[in-house]
Amino acid sequence: MSQRKDGAADVGGGFSGWLLHHAARSAPESLAERLAEEWLADLSTRQSGWSRLRFAIGCCWATRVIAYQHYAPTLAPSSAVAGTRLLAGDGRRGSGFLSRRTTTFLLVVGLHVVFFYVLIAKLSQTMVPAKTLPLQNRAVTEPKLRDLPPPPKPQPFDPRRLDLTPPDTHLAIEPEPKTLSGPEIDRAVPPRDQSPPTTPPPAEHTAQQIQGGPGAGFPNPDDFYPSFARYREEQGVAIVNVCVDERGRLTSDPTTVQGTGFPQLDEGALKLARAGSGHYRASTEDGKPVKSCYPLRIRFKLKN
Amino acid sequence: MGKREQKVRMSLQTLRVLETFLENPTEQLSGADVHQRCGIASGTLYPILLRLEAAGWFVSQWETIDPSSAGRPRRRLYRLTSTGLKRVTEVFASFNRGVLA
Repeated sequence: MSQRKDGAADVGGGFSGWLLHHAARSAPESLAERLAEEWLADLSTRQSGWSRLRFAIGCCWATRVIAYQHYAPTLAPSSAVAGTRLLAGDGRRGSGFLSRRTTTFLLVVGLHVVFFYVLIAKLSQTMVPAKTLPLQNRAVTEPKLRDLPPPPKPQPFDPRRLDLTPPDTHLAIEPEPKTLSGPEIDRAVPPRDQSPPTTPPPAEHTAQQIQGGPGAGFPNPDDFYPSFARYREEQGVAIVNVCVDERGRLTSDPTTVQGTGFPQLDEGALKLARAGSGHYRASTEDGKPVKSCYPLRIRFKLKN
Repeated sequence: MGKREQKVRMSLQTLRVLETFLENPTEQLSGADVHQRCGIASGTLYPILLRLEAAGWFVSQWETIDPSSAGRPRRRLYRLTSTGLKRVTEVFASFNRGVLA
């Protein structure tokens, strides 16, 4: 390793280089030389010793997977699965009555059974029955209160003894200028000897409007979550404007009011809104369904 | 590693590697470059690169430098083949077909 910047990198690089050579030697013969040179070149791009060590350990793992892929190309497994099989032994290559996978499964189940049996047995031994102690009755003497002086006798109320001197404050309150004109005062306080009061005008009738929304049989939004957006872990809330008639059918093509920032999610929201035609709950006025347009909020959220 | 066409099983890491190469299909990338761009560890990355090369999706060659004058070992550079580009496009298009269905 010619490019060593500091002492830590020197130590890590030396050991990492040794690990890489060791890993490459374990690779298939046709690939060993190539992998050693390739990995050493890629190792030289890493600066810190810790990063080089991680890289070298990863290459050791990669060697095992590459060897597995090389000698068993027909299986073509993914790398992680291949490595796991390589370390744990291929479950299909069973020896004797049970395969290794089945044996491992039975072993794990057996260990669980033993663990819970021991746990329950131990708990049952440590449970101690509650002991009932005999009741002991003894007289409790009431503590004596300390002798306090008697309260003063209430004196009869004498109004002449009240000190009613006014407080030493000076308030300067200027009279408010009269700005109210006569008619306004008249409106505030109507005279009594006028004509009988007229009945107030009836209040205007306001129609009770209830906005519609997705109704029964509306499609499941998960069915319209774009697959590629799932892969890219894209999430967001789209607001789509829909115009719906009295029977819950779309009267025009939905339009995006507020996008999610991801074109595929927005497109999925429009598809969902279109697919829901006939399954919308129409808006109502005084309980009667009417045509209306309203925003529909669609959230795309990945479930863990 | 032969160049015969074979079925490649798609894992999330494989998709990330392919996505990295799709950003500029004509660019040649070393394993270290791919690691820097998609963050896949070496233990997973190199088996994927070799598997895709064996499947004929990638082709690799040594960097054309003189290691003694450059002061570093030559790198192995990977590039998408025309077959690989076609297959990768099909794979990612299959995701889009799911949207349009």
